[in-house]
Amino acid sequence: MKHLILLVVLLVNTVTNAQSNFETGMQKAFALWQDNKQAEAEQLFERIASAEPDQWLPNYYVAQLNSLKSWTEKDATVLKANLDKAQEYLNTAKGISPNNADIMVLQAQIYTNWVAFDGMTYGMKYSAKITELYNKAYALAPENPMVVLGKAEWGMGSAKYFGQDTAPFCKDIAHALELFVNFKPESAFHPKWGEARAKHVLASCK
Amino acid sequence: MKRLQLLLNLVCLLTINVGFSQTLISGRIIDAKQNPIAGANVYLEGSYDGGTSDASGIFSFKTTETGTQVLIVSFISFETYRKAGDVYNFQDVEIKLREDVNTLDAVVLSAGTFSAGDNSKVNALSSLDVVTTASAMGDFVGALQTLPGTTTVAEDGRLFVRGGEANETQIFIDGIRVFTPYTPTANNVPTRGRYSPFLFDGITFSTGGYSAEYGQALSSVLLLNTIDEPEQNKTDIGLMSVGGALGHTKKWEKSALSVNASYMNLGPYISLFPGRNDWEKPYQSFSGEAVFRKKMNKGLFKLYTAYELSDFELTQEHIDYEDGVNYKLNNKNLYVNTSYQGKLNANWSVFAGGSYTNNKSDIHIESDEVDNLEHAMHAKVALKYRFNNRFKLNFGAEQFFSNFDESFKVFNANSESYGFDNSISASFVEADMIFTKKLALKAGLRGEYSALFKTFDVAPRVSLAYKVASRSQVSLAYGSFYQNPNNNILKFNQDVDSEESSHYLLNYQLNGEGLLFRAEAYFKDYRNLIKYDTEYASYNSVFTNNGSGYAKGFDLFFRDDKTLRNFDYWVSYSYLDTERDYQNYPIAAQPNFANTHNFSVVGKYWVDDWKSQIGFSYSLASGRTYTNPNETGFLNNKTKAYNNLSLNWAYLISPQKILYLSVNNVLDFKNVNGYQYASTPNSNGVYNKRALTPASDQFFFVGFFWTISDNGTDNQLDNL
Repeated sequence: MKHLILLVVLLVNTVTNAQSNFETGMQKAFALWQDNKQAEAEQLFERIASAEPDQWLPNYYVAQLNSLKSWTEKDATVLKANLDKAQEYLNTAKGISPNNADIMVLQAQIYTNWVAFDGMTYGMKYSAKITELYNKAYALAPENPMVVLGKAEWGMGSAKYFGQDTAPFCKDIAHALELFVNFKPESAFHPKWGEARAKHVLASCK
Repeated sequence: MKRLQLLLNLVCLLTINVGFSQTLISGRIIDAKQNPIAGANVYLEGSYDGGTSDASGIFSFKTTETGTQVLIVSFISFETYRKAGDVYNFQDVEIKLREDVNTLDAVVLSAGTFSAGDNSKVNALSSLDVVTTASAMGDFVGALQTLPGTTTVAEDGRLFVRGGEANETQIFIDGIRVFTPYTPTANNVPTRGRYSPFLFDGITFSTGGYSAEYGQALSSVLLLNTIDEPEQNKTDIGLMSVGGALGHTKKWEKSALSVNASYMNLGPYISLFPGRNDWEKPYQSFSGEAVFRKKMNKGLFKLYTAYELSDFELTQEHIDYEDGVNYKLNNKNLYVNTSYQGKLNANWSVFAGGSYTNNKSDIHIESDEVDNLEHAMHAKVALKYRFNNRFKLNFGAEQFFSNFDESFKVFNANSESYGFDNSISASFVEADMIFTKKLALKAGLRGEYSALFKTFDVAPRVSLAYKVASRSQVSLAYGSFYQNPNNNILKFNQDVDSEESSHYLLNYQLNGEGLLFRAEAYFKDYRNLIKYDTEYASYNSVFTNNGSGYAKGFDLFFRDDKTLRNFDYWVSYSYLDTERDYQNYPIAAQPNFANTHNFSVVGKYWVDDWKSQIGFSYSLASGRTYTNPNETGFLNNKTKAYNNLSLNWAYLISPQKILYLSVNNVLDFKNVNGYQYASTPNSNGVYNKRALTPASDQFFFVGFFWTISDNGTDNQLDNL
């Protein structure tokens, strides 16, 4: 009897331990990110990704950190290395969680990184793909504010360029902001960025 | 209670025990030059335990893992290091990371090669450039003629590379040979590539020293890759001053189909701008293309097919005939190309493909009739074994087969028939070795057996690249090349041998941000060229392989899309010194398709306010040789230099509608491609001459392109 209890306790202990391992790890990584220690946060996400082959989230954040870095990167060699890494981790995330609207949005952003870096070369190649990804993500998760925001911002860029009316996209961004208010991510670690961005973009509408 | 106490103790003990079993893992991370690497991620596989290396490359962290574990060190731009071992042994370890050779700043084998598209690291052109070059008029071959190494043979339109004839350049689609890549034309009217440029997203143009995978080309290969995956469902409509085109692309989950049909008719244009030729029936063509792609479990299957019908009839001036010479042509061409590219496992990948061509021409020259039919086939299987990022082996086998039959009938006489079967079997093996980020080598061997000549030829190919500084590199290449004599010879005589050439190249390349400079010097040696003892090759000529020749020179290329905002330009210059003694040449001479100096500038300016791209291209080529029978000697004179300035304007009316205008030879230069002399002297003993001038000095083109797609952002800018 004693042994049995011990066994149960140990077992429960290990299980909760494993559970909390992921949670503590992710929390620690987010804390590092909060402290502007992006490089360390990225490395911890990488380690979590390698330790938890069934979790798409750590892979997603490694990809996102690399995509975010790339907006300001001017050196083509570094930029390519970062975006290749982002793509590699996003591919893993896709393998774990196919048909995931969050992953589609991030994929669209990685392509947008390429277009922003060299529009002549990558504009043609990725523009239509980006639109397609946002459309697909929207069909899957029309209530996801990040999807609505990304889709609207992308459409707005193209409309601005051709001098077309941007009002419908401003309406979409306002709608994204409303969605952010009541948005409940699946867990504490699921993506929920972009509210500040939406406010910023909406301000430019007025 | 007591029991609980015991349990708690046990749990405590267990925790303490866990605490006690922590192991310290430590060491230092360095690169190949012993420099410390800071910021590397060091951890045990499958655990959360890890650390980061500091400025002196030192790391340490504690782990609760025991026994055999895998230590991983990863850092961007380096290959990930993995080592299995007992955790106790991972103390004070020194780990040397190897540079990742797949990065942008790694050396590339660049001798002889120009790549377009974004699939290679160093591009001379982007895939869009190929179709927005002003002088190209939507012809992918036309854009390549602005690159160094090509010579300007304006009345021909094909690619002439470094003193080589046009048929010394072979074209491949998805690795499979195209036997009849050009549309048929009359004398002195430039041809175009048959295939629409928007089907391709990768173009590699090699002006020498290319891979052992490709053979039967003495001078050059042009490799075109069709698009793997179209972006979306769409319908393309094109209305042009010379015809119309309609295309549709449909995508499914795993496959996609694109079909495209076009009809061209020069009639309306010729009635406005008649030109020098007298057209009985202006050039017209109908063509249809279809591409099907299917993603398989571990690979991609592609089927490409094109059919083209073209005909025309015209009377061209001729010095010997006052009424000119009537020429009539009817051509039917079918091309099917299929390929499969797939992965077998992590290390092996396979390619298999084949093509079939059926080309039928009926030609009438005055009252003479020439009919010919060619069937040609190519099949290839290649395997690639990847030992690691640094060492790859590619090997395979291929088979070419062609059957050519021609009949020739002089008015009121019996027709003569002749032809031949040609079969070539080849195999190749090639290794790609990247020793460091700075040094790479490609070495290959190609063996070819010609069933027609019963000979076996072995052709070695080597290419070496070394990075001399962070932005510049030097490459060397050597190759030996064999090619069967062309149909015009083989149809009369098959008792000859392959023609042969060797290339020696030295290339320097400098890359800046938005800048590219290339310089390449070369020497080319021709042996066993076909000679015959009559004015034209015919069935009563005596053929030998006693011809020879050489070509040497250098090519310069400079591209800059950075210095001026929204302005992108490239400049090419080629110097060529060549002579050959072949065909009916009495002595070695500079052939009439080779000019010594070729210079071209292509510029594109994007005017944001107008939503327009304005482009120009200028080319200047020194004179070409011709024989003046009024003086002694062979190819004893040169024409004046050739000049051409072309402009184009693409206007984006809306994201999906484009208006396109282009004018060829804006300044109306009166170019002369050569001279035709009377076959007999006049009463004063002088041979009369006639300048061979273009059918029209200038050419105008207007087109409207409209794309209807699901999302409304795609357009046909890449079709132009």
